[in-house]
Amino acid sequence: MKRAVGEGVASADWRPVLRGDGLAYTHPRAPQPAVRDISLSVAPGRLLAVVGPNGAGKTTLLRLLSGALVPQAGQVRLDARPLHKLHDRLRARALAVVPQSESSPFPVTVREMVGMGRYPHLGPWERAGSLDHAVVERALDRCAAGHLAERQLARLSGGERQRARIARALAQEAPVLLLDEPTGGLDLRFRMELFHLLRELRADGLAVLVITHDLNLAARFADRLLLLDQGRARARGTPEEVLSGDTLEEVYEWPLRLVPHPGPGSDTGAPQTVPLRKDAADRAE
Amino acid sequence: MSTDGSAGGPGQPRGTPSHTPRRLALLALAALVALALSVSFGASGLGPGDLWRTLAGEADPATRTILLQLRLPRAALAALVGGALGIAGCTFQALLRNPLAEPYVLGVSGGAAVGAVAVTVTGIGIILPWTLPLGAFAGALAAMALVLQIARRASPGGMDTRVLILAGVIAGAFFNAIILLLLSMADVESFRSAIFWMMGNLSASGWGSTAILAGLLLPATAVVLSLARAFNLLSRGEEVAYYLGASVERVKLIAYVAASLMVAASVAAGGVIGFVGLIVPHAVRIAWGNDHRLLLPASFLAGTAFLLLADTAARIVVAPAELPTGVVTAVAGVPFFVILLMRGGRR
Repeated sequence: MKRAVGEGVASADWRPVLRGDGLAYTHPRAPQPAVRDISLSVAPGRLLAVVGPNGAGKTTLLRLLSGALVPQAGQVRLDARPLHKLHDRLRARALAVVPQSESSPFPVTVREMVGMGRYPHLGPWERAGSLDHAVVERALDRCAAGHLAERQLARLSGGERQRARIARALAQEAPVLLLDEPTGGLDLRFRMELFHLLRELRADGLAVLVITHDLNLAARFADRLLLLDQGRARARGTPEEVLSGDTLEEVYEWPLRLVPHPGPGSDTGAPQTVPLRKDAADRAE
Repeated sequence: MSTDGSAGGPGQPRGTPSHTPRRLALLALAALVALALSVSFGASGLGPGDLWRTLAGEADPATRTILLQLRLPRAALAALVGGALGIAGCTFQALLRNPLAEPYVLGVSGGAAVGAVAVTVTGIGIILPWTLPLGAFAGALAAMALVLQIARRASPGGMDTRVLILAGVIAGAFFNAIILLLLSMADVESFRSAIFWMMGNLSASGWGSTAILAGLLLPATAVVLSLARAFNLLSRGEEVAYYLGASVERVKLIAYVAASLMVAASVAAGGVIGFVGLIVPHAVRIAWGNDHRLLLPASFLAGTAFLLLADTAARIVVAPAELPTGVVTAVAGVPFFVILLMRGGRR
């Protein structure tokens, strides 16, 4: 058992809060900052949804929070530790990310792909052992992808592939999970299953941040929302606080109405966004 | 954690690299057979029976000399060069996420050749043979940096696979011209042998250059093998690799240097031999998939077997004359490259 013990601050029950303070970032040669002065925190057992129009800075924010981009102002921390001071493998044991998309010229099976999640737990010459295999199996089962394990990733449907990618993140056994539009291009059932899975993970004590365009699912499943507009935090709070008609109409530049979810179940009453016809606003006046 | 392997019933699923040792043993056996074939066949008409008698200690001194002093050192060199090119090709493919990447196509071999020729022409390489791979190493690193820069600038918004290959081929043509320029000052006989060397020449080998090659390859191969899992991550993209805990920039730097060193050492010892790094890893990929924990060592062993066979062919098809070994690998490799290129274009 030659796990890099020297790095061992990430014990199995380390449940850090991921915090960003005053984050700002302008892409090279971009006229406008992509993210300006955003602060947020993702706590264990919480599900934070980041919403906002295309180009609002959601993905840039996620890349700042994950360390893939270095903020030009502000700092990202896991508890008190600055993220950029963590060794890469240690960071990946604390923080798992499912980016929007990925591709490879070299085909792999689902099991090989999910097994990559064990990378931060293994030394360079260390072989995956029965513990690692068990973690991979559990992650596959968790994402209802066990039956896909021997299939080629490239041959799967979009929803199946997404489940494999989430399983890989779960195999990292990280207490913080960030997902960038995991439901993009997925059908109704996959979207619902995915958000149910996120809710379960949150109940397990994970700190979950999800970027999504689906305001209605965000309203039902997230504890808190962060609404981004042009790189700024336009609104934040509970779904009821953030999803107000006036703000959304302004941010999305489209007339809409909010109606309570009809139920039944625990989602009853969650504000659901219904976009209206373009001319609806004029007619109402 | 390997101690509680008794729990292994359901915890040991199919598809894990438990069959890796068996497959590598198979390839090692194939490489040994290729070695025996390479020593058994040649222009002088000695055959497998003579190898057998030599091993049994019953052969006459002349036979022993031909097999052990002429053919065996050459076979050993071919084995090492083939292995190095196989694993280096696989490394470049992983780093660049480009199935067409290969030391020769990328211009790295050409850069190494310029370095080696420069050291030779100035006379340093003749007095101090170990400076030959050093010059080649410098040339290989410079070529790699140059080609990457060109490709990056010529394809804004992510490196285009085909632009990279184009940059490599163009750089290779440029390096060839420089070598010819440097050689134009040499006499006719060294010019002729240099041309042979530029197309891969394993013939003028004693044990000396083979020993230098082995000394450089061993650490470089160990380093690359230790990065196998990181290569798996990198082939999913650098951002994904970063999220999974790979130290992306460090891995890339180390791997580029190690692979360039392998190419440089091979070029210094055996000249410019193309397409081994293309054919060999792809054959392994098709047979056994893309897990670098198997793919890297398998590419080394299969490269060994492949180049031994190619060199044997180079020695016997036009006997008593012989072909540069690079001619044989190019004849096999170019059609292979075209097929891969067309498959990529369809995607």
